Formats: sequence, C-alpha cells, structure tokens
Amino acid sequence: MTDHFKERSTRNYHQKQLFTKEELEQREKLCKYEDPPFCSAACPLKLDVKTMLKEVSEGNFEKARSCLEHISSFPEILSYGCDAPCTKKCRRNELDATVNIPGIERAIMHYSMAPKGKGLLKFRKRQKIGIFGTELFTLVLAAELANKKYPLTFYTEANDVEDLLNRCIQLPQDISDRQIRIIRSLDMKICFKQKIDDAFFEEERKQYDIVCAAETFKKEKTDPVTLCDSRNAVFPADEKRYGKVLQAFFDARRAAVSVERLAQNLDPHNTRPAEGETESHLFTNLNYIPEEPAIPENGIYSKEECIKEASRCIQCECVECFRGCAYLRAFKRYPRILTREIYNNTGIIMGDHMMNKAMNSCTLCGQCTVTCPNGYDMAEICRLARENMVDTQKMSLAVHEFALLDMLFSNQEGFLCRKQPGYDTCRYVYFPGCQANGIAPLTVYKTYQDLMNRVEGGVALLLGCCSVIAKWAGRKELYEEQIAFLKEQMQSLGNPVMIAGCPTCKTSLQENFTVKGLWEVLREIGLPEEYKKINEEVIVHDACGARSDPDTQEEIRAIAREIGCQLKETKWSKDLTGCCGYGGLVSYVNKEVADLMAEDCIKEDKEHTYLTYCMACRDRLYRQGVKAVHYTELLYDQKADDMPSLSQKRKNRLMLKQKLMKEVWKEESMEETIPFTYECSEEVRNKMEERMILESDLIQTLLNYRENHAAVYNEADDTLTATHRIGNVSFWIRFREKENHYTILSAYSHRMTVRIR
Amino acid sequence: MAIEKTYYSLEADKHLVCHKCGVHLVKGNAVFEYLDNAFPVELPVCPVCGFVYVPEELAMGRVLSVEKVLEDK
Repeated sequence: MTDHFKERSTRNYHQKQLFTKEELEQREKLCKYEDPPFCSAACPLKLDVKTMLKEVSEGNFEKARSCLEHISSFPEILSYGCDAPCTKKCRRNELDATVNIPGIERAIMHYSMAPKGKGLLKFRKRQKIGIFGTELFTLVLAAELANKKYPLTFYTEANDVEDLLNRCIQLPQDISDRQIRIIRSLDMKICFKQKIDDAFFEEERKQYDIVCAAETFKKEKTDPVTLCDSRNAVFPADEKRYGKVLQAFFDARRAAVSVERLAQNLDPHNTRPAEGETESHLFTNLNYIPEEPAIPENGIYSKEECIKEASRCIQCECVECFRGCAYLRAFKRYPRILTREIYNNTGIIMGDHMMNKAMNSCTLCGQCTVTCPNGYDMAEICRLARENMVDTQKMSLAVHEFALLDMLFSNQEGFLCRKQPGYDTCRYVYFPGCQANGIAPLTVYKTYQDLMNRVEGGVALLLGCCSVIAKWAGRKELYEEQIAFLKEQMQSLGNPVMIAGCPTCKTSLQENFTVKGLWEVLREIGLPEEYKKINEEVIVHDACGARSDPDTQEEIRAIAREIGCQLKETKWSKDLTGCCGYGGLVSYVNKEVADLMAEDCIKEDKEHTYLTYCMACRDRLYRQGVKAVHYTELLYDQKADDMPSLSQKRKNRLMLKQKLMKEVWKEESMEETIPFTYECSEEVRNKMEERMILESDLIQTLLNYRENHAAVYNEADDTLTATHRIGNVSFWIRFREKENHYTILSAYSHRMTVRIR
Repeated sequence: MAIEKTYYSLEADKHLVCHKCGVHLVKGNAVFEYLDNAFPVELPVCPVCGFVYVPEELAMGRVLSVEKVLEDK
C-alpha cells in the first residue's frame, strides 16, 4: 500500500499538463467577464464608454476626455455628428431610457481642456503619403497619419483651412474655430486651391509611396476590409453602415491601418485589429438596478446634470459568481483569470507555486456553476488542479494532512460496522457521516434507535467517513482505498441500501452504492413521536451537497412544515445556496475564506433560526453567531454539541461507538486509560484548537516524556518543555509537573525535523 | 575548510537545563530539515544527550514561515 503520509521532496521535477490547450480555452471561454459592455461593442471606433462615463460620474472631465482623444483627433466633431449606435445597445433601454452618451460627450468637450504636449516622441516615417480630395474621410485620415509622423501632402480645392473644414462638415462657429486650430497644428503640407481632376490625380500620385483619396476618385470596387483598390490606393468604404460622420471616422480608422501595413510592405490584410462593431456576450443582471429617468439635455448639460446622467450608467459587468462566492471575492479574480493562473501554477516545475492557496481555498460547492449564466465550473477546475499537484508530488502534505488523518480516524478508531441485533441480513444500513458522529453523537444514537425500531427489514450501522475528504484533497489513490474498504464492509453486511444522514455523503456515496437520504426514509415511515413542535419562522439553509437535488430540498421543507416551522426563503435558497466553509477542506486550509463563506450564508438575516440538514453547516453557522439547528436535533429532541473542538469531535466519535457497542450490541470495549491527569486553561485550549493540536497529541507527548524524561527545565519559571514527533509533526508541550498531574501552559508544533550536527 | 553558513543563531538562556542530564543547555550546532532541504542553525542543545530545544517563538515564527515557503515550492 502506498504511504500517503510520506513527505515529498521539493526536488522532484515532475510535470503533468492539467488541460490540453483546447480544453483550457473551452473552459475559459465560458467566462464572459472580459467581454466588452454593449455600448463599446456597438461602437465601430471602440470608444471605452464605460470608463468615460465612470470618470464623468466622479467629476473627472479631463480623464473622460482622454477616452475620446484616444479614438480620434477630432473628438468634438464626433460628439456632434455621431449617430451613436452605442445608445441603441445600452442596457438601460430595457429599464427606462438609454444614457445620453453623445450629450455627455458634448459636455465633456465643453468642460475640459485639450491635452497639452505632443505625447510620446515618435520617429518620423519615410514613406511619403499623398491625400487627394476634400471630404471628412480625407481630413480625419490626414490627421491620423500626420499624428503617426508620415510625411504627408494633402491636396484640396479649398482656399484655406476654414474653407477646408466647411467643405468637410458644417459646425457651430466656436467648435469650428477649435477644429481649425487642430488642423493648423497638424504636421502636414496642405496644398490649397488645387484643381484636382482625374488627370491631376493620376499625375501627382506618382510621386507618393502611398495614396489615399476621396470617394470621387474611386474607379473600382474596393476591398471591404482594407478599403484598398487593385492599385493599393485607399478610399472610403463602398458599403455605408453608419451616418456620414461616424462612417467617415470609421473608414479613416480602417484606412490608416491599411496605410500602416502598406508602409511596412505588408499585405494590408495582415494582422489587423478587430474592426467595427462586435457582439458582446456579457451578462448584465438588471434585477439589481433601480430605475432612474434620463436627464433631458437642453443645450449643453450643466456639469451637475452631466455627472448625474453619467451616473445612470450601470457599468455593465458580469459579477454573478462574485455575488454568491466569498472565495472568488477574496482572491479578487473572476473565473477565467483564476483558471489560467491555476493552470499555470500546475505547470511550474521549479519555483514558487503562488496559486496553491487559491486552488485549495475553493469549497468545491458548485455554486458558481449555478450562478454563472454559462455554467462555469470553478470547483471542478480546482479539484482537478489539486489532483494534478498530488500526482506530480507538488502538493504539500501539510495543507490537508490534518483532515486526511481525521478521515482515517473515522474509518479506523472511530469506525463501527454492525448488523442490527437479531438480523442475519439487513435491508438498510444507516450511515450518519463523520461530522454528525463528531458533533451530535447523542442525536445520531437516538436516530439509530428509532430506525431500528420502526424500519422494517433491519437497519445495520456504519460509523465512518464517506471518504469525500480524500477526494477534496485531490488524493485519488487514498480515496479509492477508502472506497474499497467501505465496499468490503458493505459486502459483509450483504450490500444493504444506505441511509445517508448527510447530503454530501449521499452525493459522494451514490457513485458506488445505493443510497437514500435519512429524510426520505423518515418521510416514508413518518416522523418520530417525540419530535419537538416548533412554532417559529425558520430559514432552511440548504446544504451544498444537495445542490441540484430538488427532492432532498423539498423533503426537508416538508419535514420542517410538519413539525410546525414556517419557512422563510432567502435569495440564496435551494440550488443557489453557498457553502458554510467546511466543503473542500477550506476550513483547514484558509480559515479566513471559510469564515467569509459562513458569514455569507447568514448575512441576509441574523435573527431567524437556520434549520440545516448537514451537521457541518449546523456547526459552522452556529459558530458564526446565529441560531442554527439540525433538523434531527428537533425530531429527536436531542441537542448537538455547540462548537465542539477538534479533539472533542474525535472524543464524541469514540464515545458514540462505545455507547452503541455497549447498549445495542452488549459488547464491552476497552477504554484506554491514561496514567496521569492534566489540566488546560481556556486560553491554552484555544491556542491548541487554532494550531490544530489535539489532546491526543498532548497525551502522547506527556507519555513519551514520562518514559524517557527528555525535556528542558527552565529554572526561571519552573516549567518543563517536552517534545515528541508524531508522524510528520513535532509537538512541544510546556507544563508544570506535580506528581501525576500536569498543568499545561502551552502547546506548539512544527513540521521541520531538527537534529544536532 | 569552508566555514559553514548558519541561517539562525540563538543564545542558550542561562536558565535552561536538560531535565534528563541535569546540565545547562549551550549554544550548539543543529540542523533543521524539511522536504529535502537542510538549514544549519545554532540552537540551545544539551552538551550531554544532544537534546535540541526549539523555543515557541522560533517554532511559530521563523520555522513556520520557512515551512510555508517550502511547501509552495
């Protein structure tokens, strides 16, 4: 058998690809977080509308202006003449009315100053460019290319700059003045008063490397993408999709790309950026957005009006997974990027695995798959990544060892498998689950008594762990060993139907056994007579193990109603439920995230009692400070332990086993006695709990000390400190000794070994 | 002979006595090992039986942080 608890070496050079490139892409593309908002997707110039409106809403008009300057040399012309396809796609249309994006653009241009300076130093290009004809397309293109430092000559029939602008577009005087200043500042040669006919065009074009011209000189169809004709001269597009102004700007943008490619002696089709409007698959949940009427634009918006109108932008983004999942929020990464980082993490052969903590902090509860409009399965990715790291011996044993040992404790010292007395074969076997055994042993005891009394055909008992812990830890081999062990035990019972007490056990065990939920059986045979009538409004906290299991969710609600509860549903009821933080072993690996998860479960309502049907949920929600109760506690009027320590959970499992053996099977079990007594203050116990040091570790260390007397005596405070290595951990206990009694002062541990050299 | 690097050095508190041997601990050469990595250190040790004392502050501080770094290697 493999030694699952042998520490690995950091000097292993194994690597195994987590996903093929195709599978990675397939998984990643489900996450649409990075898809552009609908307004930007509709804009052929790719204006970053969302950022622009955000800046305006915060009063940063200069920063908002830079978004406009970024897409064009003449943003003001655009703000007056654009037919704004963005407004047609604005999601606010479905609520009230679109955000007035062009109105805000006009206000931005009105209230902000043109940027000073010339930006980055650009090297002057060599290829000479000739631009022929007067229209908005040629003017905008000339400005684009002049800004890219091409030696440029612009031939126009106009008499001067003012005339040039007027021939291109009619603007109000003040705006026109500002545009004239821009044209004058451009680094290009303008040849005014040219009579440009075909002959002139044919003659003059010879002296230029690249030629761009107005519509009138076009003699043949141009390429719809590059806008080039057969002689690689660049013209406005044949097909007009937008209004005159926007079309001219869009054509100029595409023409400039073609000129750049031609200047590099490349095919103009070569590596072009995405052009024109695109389709966005972003999901914007409008359920959370209040209605807000549009601010009418009379003339130019006042600054205040403009800020108010820009604040109406809902800042489209898909955060459905973030809303429910504290883990994603804690790591501040949306699933696609998290997947990529985890994927890269598994590929690291040497060096720091920065995302180990991230992959081990997912509770694997599957909530994201339900909340994501595309069903992104982050849990599966994290689980596979853990398996991958275990396979390549890159997964630290330290992160999951405690939980794995706890599982083995449940399936060894705490394990019990017996047929119901008086039955050769049993129809059922009750499997309460390790958490119920550890947290509510007496409730489990009473439940089993009831099942034995009332279920026909005999009910055997299996106290143990369903082994999902090994699966969560990514330890496939160990999981399979444990399942094989459970199969053996089930065979010895004649393979009865399992009655799972826990929804997670049920889901996990179903892969190998026939399983029913305890709740189903109790509904079939009727509730026990002694149940506690509750006349109270409660919230059913659904277990993540029962996600996509509406029958279980309904059975529990029916039981709750039968015992008198009135049910209050929350936003996170049923399939949308979040994990309490126990799942995926997160409470062992990342306590902060586990606590955030538990807090998320109760944040909506801290007054009502939470009725749970998973004992781990009951325990974790109770620790979070709300009234939490497992339905079996009510049915059998037998309380679970409130906040049992890790040691207490183990003691409870042993106590339950011994009590059952003694009272049901009349077998006396050997109780281990320790030859000394000890006491720990509350503070020491808390420290031990936090450091995951069990009382059994403490006892072992003291037993070892009593045998070999190895310890350090501190004369200053009259204390002894003894050490003992158990498995991969060295435990240190500081104490005072008085005959056979020990007062424990502190306990600590480390995984490193230490020796003299 | 090359001088071996010491990653950490801790003076032996004069109050510390080896309970088994009844002698004061002294500063001695020790080594921490973890996941095939070794770190020579100087810690309080018993000159007779070689018991190495790791104080709580060291275990829960420096040792723990180095463990965590190595675990992510």
